[in-house]
Parts: sequence; C-alpha cells; structure tokens
Amino acid sequence: MRTKASIAFIAAALTLGSLPAVAAEGKLVLYTSQPNTDAQQTIDAFKAKYPKVEISFVRDGTPRVMAKLRAEFEAGAPQADLLLIADAVTMEGLKKEDRLLAHDKAETSAYPAGVHDPAKFWFATKLITTGIVYNTKAALKPTSWLDLTKPEAKNLLAMPSPLNSGAAMIHTITLTGTLPGGWSYYEALKANGALAAGANGDILRQVATGEKLYGMIVDFMPIREKAKGAPVEFVFPSEGVSAVSEPVAILKTTKNPEAAKAFVDFLLSKDGQALALKQGYVAAHPDVALPAGYPDRAAIKLMPFDAAKALADEAASRKRFSAIFE
Amino acid sequence: MTLAAGSAWQETRPRQPWRGLSLPAGFGLPVLVAACALLFGGLPFLRLAAAAFAPGWQFAPEAALAEIGSRAAVNATLHTLETAGLSALGALLIGGTASLLLGITDVRGKRPIAFGLIFSMMIAPQVAALAFLSLFAPHSPILGLLGLSPEPGTPNPLLGRGGIVLVMALHHAPLVAITLWTGLRSVPQSLIEAAQMEGAGAGTIVARILLPVLRPQIVAAALLAFVAGIGNFGIPALLGLPVNYLTLPTLIYRRLSSFGPAGLPDAAALSILVALVAGLGITAGMLATRRTGGKVEIERPLQPFWQLGRARPFVTAGLWLLLAIKLGLPFLALLGEALTPALGVALSWQSLTFDKFAEVLLRQDVTMRAFRNSFLFAGSAALILALVSIAFAYALERRMSKFRRVVEVVIELPYALPGVVLAIACILMFLKPLPLLGVSIYATPFIILFAYIARFLPLALKAPVAAMAQIEAHHEEAARLDGVTLWQMLRFIVAPILAPAATVSALMVFLVAFNELTVSALLWSSGTETLGVVLFSLKEAGLAGEAAAVAISASAVILLAMLTLDLLAKRLPQNVLPWRI
Repeated sequence: MRTKASIAFIAAALTLGSLPAVAAEGKLVLYTSQPNTDAQQTIDAFKAKYPKVEISFVRDGTPRVMAKLRAEFEAGAPQADLLLIADAVTMEGLKKEDRLLAHDKAETSAYPAGVHDPAKFWFATKLITTGIVYNTKAALKPTSWLDLTKPEAKNLLAMPSPLNSGAAMIHTITLTGTLPGGWSYYEALKANGALAAGANGDILRQVATGEKLYGMIVDFMPIREKAKGAPVEFVFPSEGVSAVSEPVAILKTTKNPEAAKAFVDFLLSKDGQALALKQGYVAAHPDVALPAGYPDRAAIKLMPFDAAKALADEAASRKRFSAIFE
Repeated sequence: MTLAAGSAWQETRPRQPWRGLSLPAGFGLPVLVAACALLFGGLPFLRLAAAAFAPGWQFAPEAALAEIGSRAAVNATLHTLETAGLSALGALLIGGTASLLLGITDVRGKRPIAFGLIFSMMIAPQVAALAFLSLFAPHSPILGLLGLSPEPGTPNPLLGRGGIVLVMALHHAPLVAITLWTGLRSVPQSLIEAAQMEGAGAGTIVARILLPVLRPQIVAAALLAFVAGIGNFGIPALLGLPVNYLTLPTLIYRRLSSFGPAGLPDAAALSILVALVAGLGITAGMLATRRTGGKVEIERPLQPFWQLGRARPFVTAGLWLLLAIKLGLPFLALLGEALTPALGVALSWQSLTFDKFAEVLLRQDVTMRAFRNSFLFAGSAALILALVSIAFAYALERRMSKFRRVVEVVIELPYALPGVVLAIACILMFLKPLPLLGVSIYATPFIILFAYIARFLPLALKAPVAAMAQIEAHHEEAARLDGVTLWQMLRFIVAPILAPAATVSALMVFLVAFNELTVSALLWSSGTETLGVVLFSLKEAGLAGEAAAVAISASAVILLAMLTLDLLAKRLPQNVLPWRI
C-alpha cells in the first residue's frame, strides 16, 4: 500500500516537474497587436504544449486594443486574460492603475536586467525597432533620419500615425526626444510633404507598391517582405532606431491565472523565443540568434528612451503630432 | 385574494393574445411601431446628444458647440457635402442611364448585366476603394499592360476628392438603379401605349412621359445616394485619410482613435452634426416624394418599348464596359494582390501562389469564424427585419397618418449616422448592465445584432412601404368588415401581399450586412469577429495579400448566394430578385 502510494506520488511529482503545465486548462482570451498570422502561430504553438487550454485572440492596433479594453473596464467586464501589445509604456500605465497581475514565479534569469518589469507585472517578448524603409527604385538611399527632410524625398515619405500604432507612438516620442531640434524635425517632415496616416501595414503597402518611395516602419515587416521578393530595403539609420519590446502581461481580472501564467512562461521559454525568431523577429532572449536580414545584435543602435517621461507626456505628444499633421 | 383576482382577470381576457391590439379601435400597433422607432432610432441619437451636450449628465454644451464650429469640423462638413453631392449626381447619371437602358430598351443580355451591377454593390465599399487604389498604383500590372505605368513615387490619382467622388458614384449607382427599377414597375403599360398610339417616338415618351412620371423616384434615388455618401466611411477612409482630406465620418474616426474614450464627447458632437446634414437630405427626400395623386391599380406593368435597332450592339457593349470598369478591373487588381507572394512583386506564372488563400481559409481560425459570424449576424438581422417590415409598412401606411413623418425620420437616423457613430452610441447605451435586467449585452453578439437592426431598418422598410402604398385598401376593408383581428389581418392578408417586397428587403439587408465593417469595427469582441473586421485588421497588419484573399472569398460567398437565389427564382414570388428585370 505504502509503496504504491509513494510511487503514485513520485510519478505525479515527476509528471508535474517535467510538464508543469498539464495542470493548465480552461479558456483564455488574448488581446494582441501582433499581425493575425503571427498571433495565430503563437497560439498554435502554445496549444501544442497545452492542449487543454482553449485560447482565442482579438487583434487590432495597440491604441484600438486599448480603447476596447478601456471601454470594457468602464463596463466592469474586461474580456481579456492576457495582453500582448506593442509597448511597455502602456503596460506601465496599466500597472499604475492596478490592472495587472504580477507573475512572481516567472523565470527571467536568462535575460539581462532592465528588459522586463523588475516587479514582474509585464515581460518583454521581442525587440521591434522602427527605422526607414525605401523602395529599391528610389534614387536616394537614406542612411540618416535627416535624409528624409531632403528635397529628393519631397512628397515621397509615408509614416504610421501614433494614433494608429503603439510602436509609432514610442517612435515619435523617441525621435522628438533624441534628435536635435525635437519636434521641429517633424515640422520639417511636414514641410517636405510627408504623410502621416494609418498603421505600419499601410506604410509597407505604399512603399512596396511604389506610391511612396520612403517610409518609417517597424523592422520585421519590410525584412520579411523583402525575403519574399518585395522591392523594399530596410535601413537602421546612423542616429539609431527607436524600439518597443512587445510586452506580455496578465490582467488582474483574469478568471484563469494558472493558464495565463503558463502562456507567459511559454513566451519567455526557449521554445517561445525560438518561435519569435522563426517569425522573423529579434527575440528578447539574448542567446537566441537573429533572423536573416538583420545586422548583428551589437550593431543595432538604440536611441535612448525614458518610459516614465513618455507615459507622462503621451497625451501631449499625441496632440502635438495631430496639430502638425492633421 | 390574489388568486381570485388573477382568475377574474383571466376570465375577462379570453385566449386572444392580440386583443389589446384588436381592430377597429387598435392603437396598439402604432404605439408599438413608435416604441420600436424610439428604441432603435431615437435612443442611440438621444444618447449621443447627451454625451455631447451633457457630458457626465450635466448640461454643458460649450465644448460640443466649439467642436462643431472648429475649423476641422467646418472643413469636414464642406468636404462631406461636396463628395456626397457630386457622387450622388454621378450615381444618378450612371445608375439612371443603366436602369433606363435595361428597363425600357431591347438591349441584349439584360439579366447578367443587372446581376453584375447588383453584385458590384455587394462588394464592401472599403474593398472597392482598395481595389481601385491598387488598380491605379504605380506598380499596377493592369496599367503596365496598357503601357501607362507611372513613375514610381507618383501619387495615386485616386487619392483625394476626385477619387472619392468617382468611386462613391460608381459604388452607389446600383442603389439608384434598383430604386428606379421599382419605380418603372409601377408605371402602367397603358400610359406608354396611349402615347404610342398618338405617334410619339421612344425619345419623346421618355422625355415627356416617363421622366416626369418617375420624378419622385428619381429625386428619391438621388437623395438615397446622397445620404449614403454622407455616411460612407470606407471610401473616404481609404482614399481621403492618407492625404488628410477628411469628411465628417473619417474626422470622427480620427478623433476617437486618437483620444480613445476621452474623445467620445467630441465624436458625439460631430455625430450630431452628421445627423443634421443627413437629416436635411432625408427631409428633402420626403418632401420631394410626397404623393399627390391617388393609387393606380396596375394590370400590366411597363414593358420594354424602345427598339434600339442598329445602336443595339453599341449600347450593349457600353453597358458591359461599365461593368468591366466597375467590377472587372478592380476585381482583377484584387486577385493580382492575392496571388502574388509579396507586395510589389510582378505577377507571373512563376511567382503565382495560392498561399494567401490557404493562410486565411485553412490556417486561421479567426477567418473561418468571421465567415460564420457574418453569416449568422447578417442572416438574423435580415430575417427579423423582413418580418418586422411587414407590420411596420402596414402601420406606417394605414394607421399613422400625420404622425408617420416623425416616425420615419426617427427610423432613418441610425442609417444616416456613420456606422462608427452608431457603434459609439451602442457602446454608450450598453456598456453598463441594462437597467432592471442587470445583464450587459456589451461584448456579446446581441450588441452587434441590435446595431444591425437599428442601422438597416430603414433599408428593410423601403420596398414594403413602397409596395403597401401601391395596394388598394379594399382587401383590408373587406376583412375589417368581417371583424378579423389585427394579427389575422397581418398574417393572412397583408403578409402574403407584401411577401415579395419583404423578401427583397431581407435579401438587401443580408447582402449589405454580410460585408459590413463600420458598425462591427467597434462592437466586436473575441469570438464575434465579422468579415469586415478581419479584412480591415489584415490590411492594417501589412497583410494586403491576405486581405485581398478574404475579400475575394467573401465576394464568392455573395456571388454563390445570389446565384442560388437566381436558380430558385421560379419558386419565389415575382419581382423578388432585384436583378431579374
């Protein structure tokens, strides 16, 4: 009797030890700004490991995901268990409002300090930079942000609007905070006939089809599209690029914290990070190789960015941007 | 005590559920109709007005008035009037010519042409705009074939005012055509025969008899196109936003997406402005189509009387050319986008791939779910509205007298509001749990269904109300003498007469709602994605090829539905299918 019980106990312990997540089951809803294909792949990979978890997703640009979520907060019925959106600034805001659930047991020792939230409310999953895309037919090959204000780029530049994209919001705050002259750079772009509308996908379409020849855009879209044969080239400008980390977080109101934690663990695991690589992203994990088409990790120069200041200035930046471009 | 009272109450009310509504003293139906109009038309509008002029339930109209008077709002209003007005004229010209040619001449192949015209209207406006955009893009394979490829970096000529007017005129032309076909059917053939006996030529008959007789329908059709143009979001969003040419719906969308829920009061104020502009159009339409004469009993509806002779092949070719421009070219552009491996890659036999179709149809759960959802939402809305429209048409035409105009304007309001705005109104109304019931329909399919019913009720009413107006009241009078209840009257007399018109309504609602985007864009939640939402989302995520594949698949579903109905036409009542002219 005793031996049987202990064998059973050991067996159970072993099973739990090696596959800690079989316990995770039930429903999960993910709100995300990942492109549909990527979101579906992420979910499929997670489901392969945790077949008992039924996970569905809602996809939209970060500002609209947030608008939806805020409306749901107001109704007192947030639908999401998990949030996987473009930027950490939004996450910091939610953390301040006490909307997030800390995942203290998350395994982050492999990551350098400063990548994730030290209090473990949100976790970076990848590095997405915003640089310059150009159509290969363009005469000017831009290497600096300032090239976009040159006469050669007159009326030929498209950029995503911070009103549509979380990455574009961070990008605007980073550029205006780093480039000499700040907002006057954007005024110069406007004077040069730059258009600011839509999300990153619209910029890719316009530049790849030749309606515009230059664009500001997140790195993975043109790099992936170039590999498929599109006539586009992505540039990391000499001054550096802005970056977002596509963080994941669990909402405090989740009805299924166990499964939600399993999802976060999966994204942070080697497998989850390898999936990011396979999808063509720079994974957050420092040991995961870079996808084809990127320079060395060390060669990507990131512009400085103050998240706390960005959070405080977000509404003002948005107004300022609208005033210039609308 | 209570029990006794209960049974006494039951005794005084024998089994007759509609007794309260029974004739002849029945006020029940008009009250019910007015209540529905208030629920679906008035309530959203009032909620918006409250959000605009009394944010936080305290009367403070200053901010809203400032917003309405702002430079951006004034510009957007002018742009809205300009594009809606010009495109309505264009739609009247294109749709009017097409409907006359198909209705009164002996042009060849009428049915496929009419079918194609109506099918082209069922393609979502944003898809039409996207297709025309890629058609004129510098890399366009079709322009390339014609040797017209512009220099890379040439701005797309469709961006801005001209493009919006052109695409909107083409898109709303079938709307005009359908309205005029209904009108043509109500012209008695004897009128034409009389003129022919007097020796009048076809041209004279059209100019001197047909057009004057059809004047109310022509005005109604133009105003319908005008109001549709004011509320259109997809076309100015794709063709105007990139060059900062804003109309009121796109300005509202921008305000909302930039400031989130904090932008609601501004958006609500602008919505009131749109409603006012569209309300002008609706009122003008009602004044213009106010019937003066009595009803005509039509023994024989209008037959084609214009023999084109040698011009026949040219006119036929002209109509096919219109279809090619309106339907063929944009569809080819979309197909090209869906079949190329990456944006900007030239399409050839080597580069051709079905991967985008496989991705959206086989690998992504959400796309398949969206197909099912759109089918379900559009189908339920169509069914409910078809049934409701019969009672509404009867009540409006026979029982409401002067009160009728007010009710009609209230019903039309949500159709005139841009979809984005109606969605906001619904969110405002349903965000909090419903009073008394304590449940929230936010984030359930029911909020989308409510919005669809509110938005498409006026569309569903058009045909049945028009049909009811044509019918002599003698059947009902006879029945009334026999003392039937209202329910019996509706069920056995009105419903069979209005069934064809109600079927047309259901069909139109289904086809329009199936590809709908602007309402569901804000109301969907996990599991209730619609096709429009998925399409927009794919496009924004840089997956233009996948978006094109969804658009083509959705159009294929519509095409299949229309073809099935066409095959069933013999079993359906006459004149049910708008393209079988």
